[in-house]
Amino acid sequence: MDGYIIATVIKAILILAVISALAGFGTYIERKILAFMQRRLGPMHVGPFGVLQIAADGIKLFTKEDFIPSGANKIIFMVAPIITAATAFIALAAVPLLPEFTLFGVTVRPIVSDMNIGILFVIAMMGVGLYGPLLAGMAQENKWGIIGSARTAIQFLSYEVVTGLSLLAPIMMVGSLSLIDFNTYQAGGIAHWIVWTQPVAFVLFLISGFAETNRTPFDLLENEAEVISGYATEYSGMRWGMFFIGEYANMITIGFLASLVFLGGFNPLWIIPGGLAIILKVAFFFFLMLWVRAAWPHIRPDQLMWLCWKVLMPLAVINILITGLVMMA
Amino acid sequence: MSLDNLKNRNVGVQNYKMLDLGHTPETGWGKFKQVLKRSVKLELFVGLKVTMREMFKALFMGEMHTVKYPFEKLPISPRYRAIHEMKRLLESGHYRCIGCGLCEKICISNCIKMDTRYDENQRKEVSDYTINFGRCIFCGYCAEVCPELAIVHGGRYETASEQRASYSNFEDMLTPMDQLVNQKEYPGFGAPTPVADKNIKKTPLAY
Amino acid sequence: MSDNLITVTIDGIECKAKEGEYILNVARANDIFIPAICYLTRCSPTLACRICLVEADGKRVYSCNAKAKDGMDIVTQTEEILEERRAIMEVYDVNHPLQCGVCDQHGECELQNYTLELKVDSQHYAIADTKREHVNWSTVLHYDAALCIVCERCVTVCKDMIGDAAIKTGPRGGDKLDKELKDSMPKDAYAMWNKLQKSIIVPSNGTEHTNCSDCGECTAVCPVGALTERDFIYKANPWDLREVPSTCAHCSSACHLYYETRAESIDNPTEKIFRVKNEWNYQTLCGAGRFGYDYENTTAKKDPQALAKVAEAIKSAGTIKFNSMITNEEALMLQTLKEKFGVKLVNNEVKPFANFLSHYSKAAGQMLYKDSFADMSECDFIVSVGAKLRNDNPAARYLFNNIQKMNKGAGMYFHPVGDTLIPTFGKSVQTFEHKPGDEESALLLILDLFANKDKLPDDVKAKLDASKEKRTKTVTEKVMEEVTETVVDKETGEEKEVTKKVPKNVKKEVEYEANSLVEKLGGNPETFEDDFAKMMKKKESFALVVGEDFYFHPKAKNLANLIALIEESTEFKVAFIPPKSNALGVALICDLDEECEGSTVGYNEPADFTISALGNGDFDIPAMNQQEGTTTNMNKRLVPLNAALDYNGYELNDIMNALGLGKNLTVDWTESLPVEKGFQLAKFDDLPNGFRNDKTENRGYVLANLSVEKTGIEIEDIEDIALDGDIAYRCNPQRQFNDFTNKAHQIFEKFALYASKERAEQLGDFVKVEFENGALELSVEVDERITGDIVEIPDFKSDLDVYGLFGKDRYAKVTITKV
Repeated sequence: MDGYIIATVIKAILILAVISALAGFGTYIERKILAFMQRRLGPMHVGPFGVLQIAADGIKLFTKEDFIPSGANKIIFMVAPIITAATAFIALAAVPLLPEFTLFGVTVRPIVSDMNIGILFVIAMMGVGLYGPLLAGMAQENKWGIIGSARTAIQFLSYEVVTGLSLLAPIMMVGSLSLIDFNTYQAGGIAHWIVWTQPVAFVLFLISGFAETNRTPFDLLENEAEVISGYATEYSGMRWGMFFIGEYANMITIGFLASLVFLGGFNPLWIIPGGLAIILKVAFFFFLMLWVRAAWPHIRPDQLMWLCWKVLMPLAVINILITGLVMMA
Repeated sequence: MSLDNLKNRNVGVQNYKMLDLGHTPETGWGKFKQVLKRSVKLELFVGLKVTMREMFKALFMGEMHTVKYPFEKLPISPRYRAIHEMKRLLESGHYRCIGCGLCEKICISNCIKMDTRYDENQRKEVSDYTINFGRCIFCGYCAEVCPELAIVHGGRYETASEQRASYSNFEDMLTPMDQLVNQKEYPGFGAPTPVADKNIKKTPLAY
Repeated sequence: MSDNLITVTIDGIECKAKEGEYILNVARANDIFIPAICYLTRCSPTLACRICLVEADGKRVYSCNAKAKDGMDIVTQTEEILEERRAIMEVYDVNHPLQCGVCDQHGECELQNYTLELKVDSQHYAIADTKREHVNWSTVLHYDAALCIVCERCVTVCKDMIGDAAIKTGPRGGDKLDKELKDSMPKDAYAMWNKLQKSIIVPSNGTEHTNCSDCGECTAVCPVGALTERDFIYKANPWDLREVPSTCAHCSSACHLYYETRAESIDNPTEKIFRVKNEWNYQTLCGAGRFGYDYENTTAKKDPQALAKVAEAIKSAGTIKFNSMITNEEALMLQTLKEKFGVKLVNNEVKPFANFLSHYSKAAGQMLYKDSFADMSECDFIVSVGAKLRNDNPAARYLFNNIQKMNKGAGMYFHPVGDTLIPTFGKSVQTFEHKPGDEESALLLILDLFANKDKLPDDVKAKLDASKEKRTKTVTEKVMEEVTETVVDKETGEEKEVTKKVPKNVKKEVEYEANSLVEKLGGNPETFEDDFAKMMKKKESFALVVGEDFYFHPKAKNLANLIALIEESTEFKVAFIPPKSNALGVALICDLDEECEGSTVGYNEPADFTISALGNGDFDIPAMNQQEGTTTNMNKRLVPLNAALDYNGYELNDIMNALGLGKNLTVDWTESLPVEKGFQLAKFDDLPNGFRNDKTENRGYVLANLSVEKTGIEIEDIEDIALDGDIAYRCNPQRQFNDFTNKAHQIFEKFALYASKERAEQLGDFVKVEFENGALELSVEVDERITGDIVEIPDFKSDLDVYGLFGKDRYAKVTITKV
């Protein structure tokens, strides 16, 4: 039992460290990719090709004065970013990141906790994540914060529905909520990937995943052109950095979820070992998010709602219905 | 004049070209069809294609647009009006300025000041000359009015300074003596036009 | 000249003009523009530029020397005239250097202006240039021959106005014009060019340097940059200079001038006077006015403790000593101090003048002399008594000269110190070198020559008759005499008697009426009668100038009475030269005392406590170019002074405020000047300061000449008080008037003993001059224009107390020894 606790703690710390480092690195990648797509160079001066830019940014964020605006609700203002960052990392607890491997004769399962309701836990945690921006916006005394939190509420809650419904069909097929079981279900190679049987669910999940992570074209929460910086208007320094890390951690989580649920997880792919396969898949999703950001414009809040309730939600329900009918037949 | 005329703000030549934007659907069915068309006909993915193409061009075909500014500089127009330069006579190396004071007079932001004196060679010597670049608006009148093509605009456009007033003096603006061979004529404001020869009436000479 | 008004039409505009006036002046007076380069309003036409060509009744005339006739119809522009004028301007532009940017005249150059005005955009003429050098003519004059267009304005003004005639046209050595041009180019342009190509301006004494009074008027009138002030060369452009119209403070003519100021340099932003300009068509400046401008007080600052101290000093003072470098307002303040605190006011320069004025006004029944110098410019006979014209007052000297030149006038100059310049002013100028003390005789002679004998009192008539006596003189006459000769005929050998008439000079004794006054005054009674008859030919109006010698004369009262008598019994216009700058104002405003009493406060004068604008006193006040105020000039005109430079210290008005007697501003005192003395209730800001196009002076206002109770003219007997032996005369060199001119950096005249060449040779380089009550050690300078043995000792340094040494006379018996 002690060994289990120690292993879990080590795993948690490792995940925290690696994912937050990756989140930081993600900002560098994002800047680079966006720059290339606009035929620019991106960060170039700190370290070779600017890779140490993140270090410079980190130093900047850490050393900035941590201040709380006079009109803000102090406690909530301070807590809100922690909620975002914490929920993002907690969600990762139920996600198997890599296949099992043996290290110094110990078999390591790279998942903090393989609970039987894994996928539900992840979705639930991401749902709790909405409190971060919501409270952050409301803790401030300015209209952009308020508008930002209102948008958080409607966007996150609405798309929570689409995420859940779109995942319901694969869950029905697999018959388990554990992400390990999803992986095992697709162990038979590319032909067994759920994406082929559930393409609609995959597209719906991806769209709602963009909305859940607050990415373009659905980054209405902090759309500069309309609401300055939305819920993050009055944040600066490391507190603002935590929102950032949370967002990037969420992006990674969504990438993992999508790979695990639809694209065969960490099963080996031809000659590619499973560990590398899932990393490549997550990397692809991460890249996709940046690519989309470079290519597509924002949409309006009303269009967002129209898309959610009038297009995606009915499609998801129909998808479940058809899946059920097929399974019954 | 009726009010309608006032409200018509489309003045000028009315030769606008309408883009083929199609029409905005009005019925629900029409809107649904448009959504389908846009997503199923992969119109959405054109955007993705374009950005990916540009990235490839930038990375692999050498079409990166960035100019690494402080290290690389783009050539500027010869007519650009930046920090002034004082030219020298090519033969003698003496400064061209004759101290006539026209630049001082014409300067609309009053930033040029000059002191002159009668020197030992019975010539007018410019004993002191400053331009306050904190006030200068780089209008180019000084270069235009200069009868000797002595004060011209150069290409040095990096004019940030720590103080609002930033005076330059004569020696700083003069072409350094060792750079005299590289001194270029300024083709912008104040330079003779290409047709100047044609417009001049020749004065008879008695030699 | 008659005052009949005639009517002429210029370009369709009817103009009223005096008969005999030049067309150009009529046009100018009526604001009609006729281009003219060489003409100067108060000088004779030069006819050098020929550009003022107009058509009068269909005939081409030069408007500067064609007189307007009644009903004349004048057209200033026809196609032909414009063509001619354009050709003239083109010729002026031939070989004129094109580096306008370097030239000091650039921006106010008449050559530039007329070239543009007449639309010269191309050149048709050319000739090889001659090398012409720049030269320095004197310590202040610079001549750049390359820029000279030989309009001869400088020559004209120097001859007709200044009287030095120090420059003339000389040979240029240029190429001859092509003969063909005579037919191909406009006539007047050719004639002008022909003359231009032959001449250049040179000093008239044949050397490289002008021997003149360094007045700089030639630099002022020069239309181009050829003649400039050496100090100003290449220093500033005219458009950078701020023009402050003001008044010269140095002598009593208080000429109108403009101070031109600018920040001194880039490093030093304090305002500085760069030069002085004048309206040379209406006002002539002397060297002191033009070059003596930088006497401002720069050391002053505001120190309340010093102010309290000076207020205390004034309260406890017995006497305030001052001189005439003071504005009317300040003089009024001092008078107020006298009224409130009972201090004595002592002014050595003005007191004798004030006494003289009061003697005169009692005798004449009016407060001031009848006429002013401004009225005298139309006179054709001028007499100067008691004034060392060349040194005392340049304006009076210019007037004397101008009358000779412009009105074909005549003049008489009475003065003990001989002067070689005055006789050169005109052919009909007589100088009388009399002994100091014989001034009364000069006035008697004037009475004898000009007075209406019926108006003279009997005793004076008797005196005049007593001076006449019959004498005989030998005259040489030409007589035709018949001579009979015996001539031998060469052919026949016959002797024949031939009678023919041969002229022969015969000496003859002639009886004539000799005037012993003439003899006494140094004239030649034998020739005087004839000379005087010549001088009087065609003379209509007469002017009498009275100078400083009379005020400092032991018999000043008698002189004043004699002048009143002259005014009454002759047609003379009489005007006095107030001794120093604002002497007339001080004499009218202040009630002066003779002697100092108690502790003294000096106002620009050395004393126990000195208030000074020179920067060396115990308390600073502004110099005359730093303050606003008014001064009263010899034309009995109150004229405004404007502040040209900043002043950081206290003014006299601040001291008055500290004493509880002040007003808001110094110029608030202007309207309080005593009306009972002829001043007006005018505010300072309402005083004009300029000239109108028709030559009228529009400056300040003329004081009213109020009548006073007349006690009658009493003429005393003339005693012989003439001085003998070594005589010193208190007289400043030209261009020096006071401590302030001495401070100016372009005025070089030294404080020295000035003597004629012969006398200076006798005296050596350095002498000690012993007076009754003191001595001075002075170097000896030669003034080539002095003749005779009297030496001149300046008084422009107040700390040497020259007035104290001379006492109440301008002449003193001295012992001069070599040191």
